Amino acid sequence: MIKPWKIAPVAALALLGVAACSGDFLSGGQLSTDPNRPTAANAQQLLGGVQSNLWSHWGSDPARTTGMWAQQFKGLISQYISVYQYAHDETTTNGIHTSLYAGGGLVDLKKADSLALFANDKHTLGVGQIMEGALMGTGADLFGDLVYSQALQGKSNPTLDKQQAVYDSVQKVLSAGIANMASNNPSDVGPGTYDLNYAGNPTSWTKLAYTLKARFYMHTAKVDGAAAYTAALAAAQLGLDSPTIDYKGVYQITPTAETNFYYQFQNTAGRGGYMGIDPQFIALLKSRNDPRFANYFDTTKNYVSVTRDAAAYPQTFVSTTENLLIWSEAAYRTGDQATALVKLNAARALAGLGSDAAAAAGGQALLTEILTEEYINDYQLGEEAWNLYKRTCFPNLTPTVANLKMPRRLYYDSGERQTNTNFPAAGTDPNGSFNQLDPSATTSDGGGACLDQ
Amino acid sequence: MLKRILSVIAASAMVASAALAQSGTTISGRVTNEAGAPLPGASVFIPSLNVGTQTNDNGRYSFVVAGNRAAGQTVGLTARIIGFTAKSVQITLTSGRDVTENFALISNPLRLGEVVVTGAGTSTTREKLGVTINTIDSASITRAAAPQNIVSALAGKAPGVVVRTQSGEPGASADIKIRGGSSLSGTNQPLFVVDGVPIDNSTSSTTGGDGGTVTANRASDINPDDIASVDILKGSAAAAIYGARAANGVVLITTKSGHSGPTRYSFTSSTNVDNIDAGNMALQRSYAQGDGGVTAACTKTNCAVSSNSFGAAIPTGTSTYDHLNEIYNTGYTFDNNLSVSGGNDRTTFYGSGGLTNQDGVLVGPQNKYNRATFRLKGSEEVSSTFRVGGNFNFIDTRGNYVQQGSNTSGVLLGGLRTPPNFNNLPYLNSLGLQRPYRFPNATSVVALEGAGFYDNPFFVLNNPGNRSELDREIASFTADWHPSSWLAFNETLGADNYADSRLQSLPLTSAATTTGTVTRSDENFLEIDHNLTATATHSFSDNFASTLTVGQNLNSRRDRALASNGTQLLAATPLALQNTVSQTANQNESLAHIESYFAQATADLYGQLYFTLGVRNDGFSTFGASNRRSNFPKASAAWTFTNALGKRDQKGLFSYGKLRAAYGETGKEPPVYGTITAFSTGRTFGSGYGDAINTRFGPGGIASSTGQGNDALRPERSKEFEFGGDFGFLSQRADLSITSYSKHTSDVIISVPTSAAATGYSSKLANGATLSNRGIELAFNIRPIETKNVALELGTQFARNKGSVDNLLGAQFITYNNEGFTGAIGSSTLGYAPGVIRGSDFIRCGRGLKLNYDGSGVKDIDAICAATPGGYKNNALFLGANGLPIPDPTDRVIADPNPKYTMSYTTSLKLWNKLTFSGLLDVRKGGAVWNGTKGILFAKGTSAATDVRSTTNGQFGVNFDTKIYPNVAGPGVGAVPFNNMAAWDAWFVGNGGGFGPVGEQFVEDGSFVKLRELSLTYALDGAWVKNLVGFTSADVRIAGRNLHTWTKYTGLDPEANLGGGGFLTQGVDYFNSPQTRSFVVSISLNR
Repeated sequence: MIKPWKIAPVAALALLGVAACSGDFLSGGQLSTDPNRPTAANAQQLLGGVQSNLWSHWGSDPARTTGMWAQQFKGLISQYISVYQYAHDETTTNGIHTSLYAGGGLVDLKKADSLALFANDKHTLGVGQIMEGALMGTGADLFGDLVYSQALQGKSNPTLDKQQAVYDSVQKVLSAGIANMASNNPSDVGPGTYDLNYAGNPTSWTKLAYTLKARFYMHTAKVDGAAAYTAALAAAQLGLDSPTIDYKGVYQITPTAETNFYYQFQNTAGRGGYMGIDPQFIALLKSRNDPRFANYFDTTKNYVSVTRDAAAYPQTFVSTTENLLIWSEAAYRTGDQATALVKLNAARALAGLGSDAAAAAGGQALLTEILTEEYINDYQLGEEAWNLYKRTCFPNLTPTVANLKMPRRLYYDSGERQTNTNFPAAGTDPNGSFNQLDPSATTSDGGGACLDQ
Repeated sequence: MLKRILSVIAASAMVASAALAQSGTTISGRVTNEAGAPLPGASVFIPSLNVGTQTNDNGRYSFVVAGNRAAGQTVGLTARIIGFTAKSVQITLTSGRDVTENFALISNPLRLGEVVVTGAGTSTTREKLGVTINTIDSASITRAAAPQNIVSALAGKAPGVVVRTQSGEPGASADIKIRGGSSLSGTNQPLFVVDGVPIDNSTSSTTGGDGGTVTANRASDINPDDIASVDILKGSAAAAIYGARAANGVVLITTKSGHSGPTRYSFTSSTNVDNIDAGNMALQRSYAQGDGGVTAACTKTNCAVSSNSFGAAIPTGTSTYDHLNEIYNTGYTFDNNLSVSGGNDRTTFYGSGGLTNQDGVLVGPQNKYNRATFRLKGSEEVSSTFRVGGNFNFIDTRGNYVQQGSNTSGVLLGGLRTPPNFNNLPYLNSLGLQRPYRFPNATSVVALEGAGFYDNPFFVLNNPGNRSELDREIASFTADWHPSSWLAFNETLGADNYADSRLQSLPLTSAATTTGTVTRSDENFLEIDHNLTATATHSFSDNFASTLTVGQNLNSRRDRALASNGTQLLAATPLALQNTVSQTANQNESLAHIESYFAQATADLYGQLYFTLGVRNDGFSTFGASNRRSNFPKASAAWTFTNALGKRDQKGLFSYGKLRAAYGETGKEPPVYGTITAFSTGRTFGSGYGDAINTRFGPGGIASSTGQGNDALRPERSKEFEFGGDFGFLSQRADLSITSYSKHTSDVIISVPTSAAATGYSSKLANGATLSNRGIELAFNIRPIETKNVALELGTQFARNKGSVDNLLGAQFITYNNEGFTGAIGSSTLGYAPGVIRGSDFIRCGRGLKLNYDGSGVKDIDAICAATPGGYKNNALFLGANGLPIPDPTDRVIADPNPKYTMSYTTSLKLWNKLTFSGLLDVRKGGAVWNGTKGILFAKGTSAATDVRSTTNGQFGVNFDTKIYPNVAGPGVGAVPFNNMAAWDAWFVGNGGGFGPVGEQFVEDGSFVKLRELSLTYALDGAWVKNLVGFTSADVRIAGRNLHTWTKYTGLDPEANLGGGGFLTQGVDYFNSPQTRSFVVSISLNR
């Protein structure tokens, strides 16, 4: 038999020997580096991500939900019946709020800003700021109060800015963007091809920024009154002035299959039949003999027209027509009916309509015509039809469920609510699904008592 | 890993053998139990010579000792079999003189003397165990269980082990949860180890867990017929030797081995006839397709008709169709296994081949599963101190699957929604295009685009585009070196490697993608494991023996996955990537390493007191750099107090008693690359409805991931105490085991919700959540009759586990959000066991709700309830002015799928040693199921419960849903909301159906009693068997599985489990197939 003391060192060496060759066994190479994901990105690439996020806020579910509430669309089957009947909860809107801040939102805008500043690229910085204004302004439209001035500071329980304050900040960041777009240094390379709309063209971005300013000033009009209209009027005068530079979702049909959200919803995502056109909206266009009818609807399919239900159809998010109509309404509200009529007819001309006979009478008839044009033009223009209704109770819609009121805001998502004590519980925040910029309008701007009140 | 029987041979392998045999000595005899009944499969061997054999079905054995080794010496001859106390006698070997020796073994129901594998190269005898290890032997695995999935076969076999099989479709996965869940992410599946080599048991779905096709859990590749036994290390004290991979327990599988002696052949062939048990599912046959009581029909081309069955009453004489049973037929499973084993005094071998061929219960040719396996296992004694072994297992698993689950192209989803008056056949229209009930007369693929329909189930059943082809090798090499009597080394080097090649596609005109889609995915997994141990044994005195084991474990896991998705088919076939307009590819790779050391010491005192102390030091590449290594200690003690009382004979009323106590710690590693915060190149922005744009498209945008990594991640840690005892009564005629455990898991890694507004990330991986599981396990067996001709054994098991999430790093709950439902979302919520389902309820009284429910300002719901004439009861349903309940927007826990307790009853009756009858009854009490199927069938009007629509004075609290809502309150009490079919229709398609926001109304109690197994075996062993078929014995067996279910659950199967083993949340039923009921006829031939 072998003596134990002869074996022990051999055994110890055998164990150590295997261990010794494993000095780097736990780190290095693919053990320490993620082979699947990058850990760096440049400012242009980040703005490309923000662009996708912004388009989804204007083009995907928020637009459909608010479009149904504004009764341009109607929920026909499954979950959309409930949404159409104003049933929505925290889970309905999960993610919409988060992505204002997370990847594709403020966090990437801040990273892009500092990269652009480091490169002294004012155009990239400016485009980021204008996108930030667009995103956070839309966030204020959807949710009301938002964390903004204290956002991304790593602070626990950042406070929410009042909706009005968010809009004020949005105006500031848009102004800053406009100022940066005016820069003309060799280092101002801009987002280039990552910007699928304007390829970084500073003039186009500046005009878009002015129209956005006008849009968000209008959204504050219920509280700020004439001052808001005055500011909107000034901004609209510098806004988008040609349909060729309307801001659209331009989808990468080839070589990869990325398509129009409405097309995806109806077709590739298999949600066909969930949503149709609201009969009252069809009736409105019919009653006006509106030539946009065929461009808007396919009544046999009861969905958006074949043109708009095409994979490659670029969805318009901010348009020259919208700018003209804001100009028109702002002029009217500040007492300049003549300009209001001119701009209304200019907007109509872009839609292939002649001068508005009814509007020529001026007064309430002119206002009604302006608002009607806005409502019709807002079709598929993100959340604008709903924003118009919240501000004006126009058109004077009959609620889809008796005794219920159209929701004025979406619920914050539950993840945010439970990580920040400043968020109110669902259903109790400021006033159900209303917020402080939506006081009960007892009368409709179109005349008569507001049916929703 | 040492085999139970081989280890005995190995431990005594000291004698060098010599040259050729001369005439030799034949040793033969019979092994029976005390009552004289034969014991087949018993090992009879001479340890000192390392020769022996096994008994045949008659309990007879015979082997030859070579003449040159039979030199007139006296040696020990031992007979041993599981469940009996081994017995040794002294015999004298003289060349040319035969020996006859019969054994009558005393039954040893607690299996006290048996060697039990305790993991990582260690073993002990059961008597010395201070922890609970449940052993399931081959007979109870194959008796009546599905030949396909070893995990499914464990259902009801061990207390505290809860198994849920995804569905009865071929290739479906099974989920196994031991003593509750101890993690809040991943799958809570135990580590699987086969013959000392860890293997992969993941369930990876190609297209997300809730839709697509069923996916196998990879342990199902192991052929159950190859398995000798399964040891389940349940608690942390038992599993601590596996450190940071063992928090959910360890399943140790030991495969069969050869034994020296005559070569043995075994051939088993079984035929399963499978069908479904539709349970309490009922579809209406009275109302036609349509809405609001008005029938809709499609007569023109390209017309889209109603999606619902709320039309007028179907006129008598009109044909209606059974849309549930029409998609199922009888399935068949053929399972054939051949094994050859044997050896001589130095070499043993075991070779087997198995072929399982399953044609599933769904109608059509695309519902198949085929598994071919072969195994070759051998060992060679190179010298008296050195033995090597090898084990090679090749597996070929392939299947054709059917789209199912939450998927508009899922077979049951379209099938059960079909109006009763629509004939789903033919499934193609005259133009060869799909003919769904909502759009039957399409003239082109384009016409179907956007039509909003569900696939015709027969179209789904005939889709050939869903396949999986997997080749797998599990191989190991072992070496045992015993340089001296007190020292032994063991090395096991093993590898598990598979390549899974999958295709999932939807042909042209499929509802989910009318233009068709093809997904090809290839996954290549490789795990290499090295485990080296050195064990020293020393007896300090007759009353103090001890062992010390030290070991090293190195492990490498590599995963390479490549998936390509092609969209828009060019031609109708082939379903191949190059036949699509555009393709996107995704590659996902990972590598993880483990470097660990462990030590374990045991002490046996006075033959009655046993101590074990151990620690494992784990180093994982997945731990954060600042927490690279972690220790997992354990300690246990067992005291056979009846030995102290001098009752070593195990006789009398109270014949045996052992008390045990143990403590151990185990862990779970962080997800691979969880330490890294990175960007995403493929972030999508859009909605949960499936419309989204991808940042990668165009020039290529990049966005931050929504989750943040954490470089300080460390393993999750479970600390568990367990106490218990094993007791024998009536001279071991009855036995009882009781174990109580308390497991506290801390440092649990969760994706902590972070305020995106504050941080820019909506979650961050972090340690720090805590949860606990406490429970009790009980097993009682009694053998009231044990005579030569009759043996009756009855057993029962009971287990209760109470889990609770105690800390979520400040959050109230976290959602898993991988189920894809908005009405029922899996979560971990403070105060509940992991995996509870959250969603919304209707407004109820007594919850302190203050809501602006009608847009007229925030109101105190309880105050309004109190104003109801007669007051209100807590939980009463709050009715709005129109008499209808109102959805409460608050997100809350609506269902806890964890059972209150589980039980099983087993019985076995053996008559004349020929006929064996056995049965297994599986009981689950509690455990809620979200019956999502029911909700949708309400919304579509195909559920039989919607026949209530004929009621013209329908009211909550009076004549509608009174079982669910016995009490009502609020302003709507007395209002009659349902006075015509249109009103009912509006309710069901809205808030009263599954598309509404209220998931709570479809939560049901999932308690059940299942007749899981029943079998009758007859053993034929007369001489005529040999004369007729050339085999020494034949067993003929008829059996049944899942024969009947007693439950109040109104869906197809309360064991429903939409996502299978990959889902953390169980208890989600959404258009998934039930388990099958099977009848088995089987024959085994042995020689």
